[in-house]
Amino acid sequence: MKSMAIVVRDDSYDKILTPLAFAYLTASEGTQVDMLFVNWAVKALTAEGAAALRIDGRHAAEEAMVRAGVAKAGLPPEVYDIIKALKGTGCVNFYACSLAGAIFGVNEGNLIPEAEGIVGAAWFLNEKAAKADHYQYF
Amino acid sequence: MSETQVTSTLDTTGKCCPMPMVETNKAIKALAIGDVLEIIATDVGTRKDIPSWCERTGQSLLSMTEEGGVLRYHVRKNR
Repeated sequence: MKSMAIVVRDDSYDKILTPLAFAYLTASEGTQVDMLFVNWAVKALTAEGAAALRIDGRHAAEEAMVRAGVAKAGLPPEVYDIIKALKGTGCVNFYACSLAGAIFGVNEGNLIPEAEGIVGAAWFLNEKAAKADHYQYF
Repeated sequence: MSETQVTSTLDTTGKCCPMPMVETNKAIKALAIGDVLEIIATDVGTRKDIPSWCERTGQSLLSMTEEGGVLRYHVRKNR
Protein backbone atom coordinates (compact mmCIF):
# COMPACT_ATOMS: atom_id res chain seq x y z
CA MET A 1 0.00 0.00 0.00
CA LYS A 2 1.52 3.29 -1.09
CA SER A 3 -1.10 5.72 0.16
CA MET A 4 -3.97 5.90 2.59
CA ALA A 5 -6.53 8.62 3.27
CA ILE A 6 -8.37 8.90 6.57
CA VAL A 7 -11.26 11.14 7.56
CA VAL A 8 -11.60 11.61 11.31
CA ARG A 9 -14.91 12.80 12.71
CA ASP A 10 -15.13 11.43 16.25
CA ASP A 11 -13.19 13.54 18.70
CA SER A 12 -13.39 11.68 21.99
CA TYR A 13 -10.00 10.62 23.32
CA ASP A 14 -10.61 6.90 22.95
CA LYS A 15 -12.18 7.09 19.50
CA ILE A 16 -9.43 9.20 18.00
CA LEU A 17 -6.76 6.70 19.06
CA THR A 18 -7.62 4.13 16.38
CA PRO A 19 -7.16 6.34 13.30
CA LEU A 20 -3.97 7.73 14.80
CA ALA A 21 -2.66 4.22 15.54
CA PHE A 22 -3.53 3.01 12.02
CA ALA A 23 -1.79 6.05 10.55
CA TYR A 24 1.27 5.39 12.71
CA LEU A 25 1.39 1.73 11.64
CA THR A 26 1.18 2.39 7.94
CA ALA A 27 3.39 5.47 7.98
CA SER A 28 6.11 3.50 9.74
CA GLU A 29 6.22 1.27 6.65
CA GLY A 30 6.56 4.29 4.40
CA THR A 31 2.93 4.59 3.33
CA GLN A 32 1.86 8.17 2.64
CA VAL A 33 -1.06 8.97 4.95
CA ASP A 34 -3.33 11.99 4.52
CA MET A 35 -5.76 12.73 7.33
CA LEU A 36 -8.69 15.15 7.17
CA PHE A 37 -10.20 16.20 10.49
CA VAL A 38 -13.87 17.12 10.24
CA ASN A 39 -16.67 18.07 12.62
CA TRP A 40 -15.60 18.27 16.28
CA ALA A 41 -12.41 16.33 15.55
CA VAL A 42 -10.98 19.40 13.84
CA LYS A 43 -10.27 20.77 17.31
CA ALA A 44 -7.70 18.02 17.79
CA LEU A 45 -5.54 20.05 15.40
CA THR A 46 -5.20 22.82 17.97
CA ALA A 47 -3.00 22.50 21.03
CA GLU A 48 -5.87 23.41 23.37
CA GLY A 49 -8.31 21.13 21.61
CA ALA A 50 -5.97 18.16 21.63
CA ALA A 51 -5.32 18.62 25.34
CA ALA A 52 -9.04 18.87 26.04
CA LEU A 53 -9.99 15.55 24.45
CA ARG A 54 -11.85 13.33 26.88
CA ILE A 55 -13.68 10.04 26.87
CA ASP A 56 -17.40 10.63 26.48
CA GLY A 57 -20.53 8.87 27.60
CA ARG A 58 -20.71 5.61 29.43
CA HIS A 59 -16.93 5.07 29.41
CA ALA A 60 -16.06 8.50 30.78
CA ALA A 61 -15.30 7.18 34.25
CA GLU A 62 -12.65 4.86 32.81
CA GLU A 63 -10.47 7.57 31.30
CA ALA A 64 -7.59 7.17 33.74
CA MET A 65 -7.47 3.45 33.03
CA VAL A 66 -7.46 4.07 29.27
CA ARG A 67 -4.70 6.68 29.48
CA ALA A 68 -2.60 4.33 31.60
CA GLY A 69 -3.19 1.57 29.06
CA VAL A 70 -2.12 3.84 26.21
CA ALA A 71 1.11 4.69 28.02
CA LYS A 72 1.74 1.02 28.77
CA ALA A 73 1.23 0.18 25.11
CA GLY A 74 4.08 2.53 24.31
CA LEU A 75 2.15 5.41 22.79
CA PRO A 76 2.39 8.91 24.21
CA PRO A 77 -0.79 9.37 26.29
CA GLU A 78 -1.37 12.91 25.02
CA VAL A 79 -2.96 13.18 21.58
CA TYR A 80 -0.79 16.12 20.55
CA ASP A 81 2.31 14.05 21.31
CA ILE A 82 0.94 11.22 19.15
CA ILE A 83 0.38 13.73 16.34
CA LYS A 84 3.98 14.91 16.72
CA ALA A 85 5.22 11.31 16.57
CA LEU A 86 3.22 10.70 13.41
CA LYS A 87 4.58 13.86 11.86
CA GLY A 88 8.05 12.64 12.75
CA THR A 89 7.65 9.69 10.40
CA GLY A 90 7.68 12.15 7.50
CA CYS A 91 4.76 10.29 5.93
CA VAL A 92 1.67 11.83 7.54
CA ASN A 93 -0.13 15.00 6.51
CA PHE A 94 -2.82 16.54 8.72
CA TYR A 95 -5.54 18.72 7.22
CA ALA A 96 -8.34 20.66 8.89
CA CYS A 97 -11.67 20.77 7.08
CA SER A 98 -12.55 24.39 6.29
CA LEU A 99 -16.22 23.95 7.13
CA ALA A 100 -15.40 22.29 10.43
CA GLY A 101 -12.86 25.00 11.19
CA ALA A 102 -15.45 27.71 10.57
CA ILE A 103 -18.04 26.01 12.75
CA PHE A 104 -15.87 24.76 15.58
CA GLY A 105 -13.40 27.61 15.84
CA VAL A 106 -10.21 26.40 14.19
CA ASN A 107 -8.30 28.86 12.04
CA GLU A 108 -4.77 29.45 10.84
CA GLY A 109 -4.07 31.29 14.08
CA ASN A 110 -4.64 28.31 16.37
CA LEU A 111 -3.85 25.43 14.02
CA ILE A 112 -0.89 23.38 15.25
CA PRO A 113 2.27 23.72 13.13
CA GLU A 114 2.22 19.99 12.40
CA ALA A 115 -0.92 20.50 10.28
CA GLU A 116 -0.56 21.24 6.59
CA GLY A 117 -3.42 23.71 6.65
CA ILE A 118 -7.14 24.27 6.31
CA VAL A 119 -8.57 22.74 3.17
CA GLY A 120 -11.87 22.24 1.44
CA ALA A 121 -13.41 18.79 1.59
CA ALA A 122 -13.78 18.73 -2.21
CA TRP A 123 -10.04 19.00 -2.62
CA PHE A 124 -9.32 16.32 -0.04
CA LEU A 125 -11.93 13.89 -1.35
CA ASN A 126 -10.84 14.26 -4.97
CA GLU A 127 -7.10 14.73 -4.64
CA LYS A 128 -6.38 12.54 -1.62
CA ALA A 129 -9.21 10.12 -0.80
CA ALA A 130 -10.14 9.18 -4.37
CA LYS A 131 -6.51 8.71 -5.36
CA ALA A 132 -5.41 6.77 -2.29
CA ASP A 133 -4.91 3.03 -2.33
CA HIS A 134 -7.05 2.79 0.78
CA TYR A 135 -9.58 5.09 2.42
CA GLN A 136 -10.94 4.99 5.94
CA TYR A 137 -13.55 6.97 7.85
CA PHE A 138 -13.68 7.22 11.63
CA MET B 1 22.13 -27.46 15.04
CA SER B 2 23.49 -23.98 14.38
CA GLU B 3 21.86 -21.02 16.09
CA THR B 4 20.93 -17.86 14.26
CA GLN B 5 23.53 -15.12 14.58
CA VAL B 6 21.53 -12.15 15.84
CA THR B 7 22.79 -8.71 14.83
CA SER B 8 20.43 -6.63 16.90
CA THR B 9 17.63 -7.18 19.42
CA LEU B 10 14.46 -5.15 19.72
CA ASP B 11 12.58 -5.71 22.96
CA THR B 12 8.96 -4.57 22.76
CA THR B 13 7.88 -6.38 25.91
CA GLY B 14 4.73 -4.85 27.36
CA LYS B 15 4.02 -2.70 24.34
CA CYS B 16 0.99 -3.13 22.12
CA CYS B 17 -0.11 -2.29 18.62
CA PRO B 18 0.99 -0.11 16.90
CA MET B 19 4.31 0.21 18.73
CA PRO B 20 5.90 -3.24 18.09
CA MET B 21 5.46 -2.75 14.34
CA VAL B 22 6.45 0.92 14.42
CA GLU B 23 9.62 0.03 16.29
CA THR B 24 10.30 -2.99 14.08
CA ASN B 25 10.13 -0.79 10.99
CA LYS B 26 12.58 1.65 12.58
CA ALA B 27 14.92 -1.10 13.70
CA ILE B 28 15.09 -2.85 10.34
CA LYS B 29 15.97 0.42 8.60
CA ALA B 30 19.04 0.73 10.79
CA LEU B 31 20.39 -2.68 9.76
CA ALA B 32 22.39 -3.80 6.74
CA ILE B 33 21.30 -6.40 4.22
CA GLY B 34 21.85 -9.85 5.66
CA ASP B 35 21.65 -8.71 9.28
CA VAL B 36 19.31 -10.56 11.62
CA LEU B 37 16.90 -8.68 13.86
CA GLU B 38 15.58 -10.41 16.93
CA ILE B 39 12.21 -9.07 18.03
CA ILE B 40 10.89 -9.86 21.48
CA ALA B 41 7.19 -9.19 21.99
CA THR B 42 4.32 -9.91 24.32
CA ASP B 43 1.59 -8.48 22.08
CA VAL B 44 -0.18 -11.53 20.65
CA GLY B 45 -1.14 -9.43 17.65
CA THR B 46 2.43 -9.77 16.44
CA ARG B 47 1.82 -13.49 15.76
CA LYS B 48 0.18 -12.44 12.52
CA ASP B 49 1.59 -8.91 12.15
CA ILE B 50 5.24 -9.87 11.92
CA PRO B 51 4.94 -12.81 9.47
CA SER B 52 2.73 -10.74 7.16
CA TRP B 53 5.04 -7.74 7.51
CA CYS B 54 8.00 -9.95 6.51
CA GLU B 55 6.17 -11.20 3.44
CA ARG B 56 5.01 -7.70 2.48
CA THR B 57 8.36 -6.02 2.92
CA GLY B 58 10.51 -8.80 1.51
CA GLN B 59 12.23 -9.82 4.75
CA SER B 60 12.78 -13.43 5.83
CA LEU B 61 11.21 -14.75 8.99
CA LEU B 62 13.82 -17.25 10.11
CA SER B 63 12.07 -18.38 13.26
CA MET B 64 9.16 -17.65 15.53
CA THR B 65 8.94 -19.12 19.02
CA GLU B 66 6.67 -18.59 21.98
CA GLU B 67 7.44 -19.46 25.55
CA GLY B 68 5.72 -18.26 28.67
CA GLY B 69 3.84 -15.55 26.83
CA VAL B 70 7.00 -14.18 25.24
CA LEU B 71 7.19 -14.24 21.46
CA ARG B 72 10.58 -14.22 19.82
CA TYR B 73 11.12 -13.60 16.11
CA HIS B 74 14.30 -13.75 14.06
CA VAL B 75 14.09 -11.73 10.86
CA ARG B 76 16.79 -11.47 8.22
CA LYS B 77 16.90 -8.19 6.33
CA ASN B 78 16.80 -8.84 2.59
CA ARG B 79 16.07 -5.35 1.25
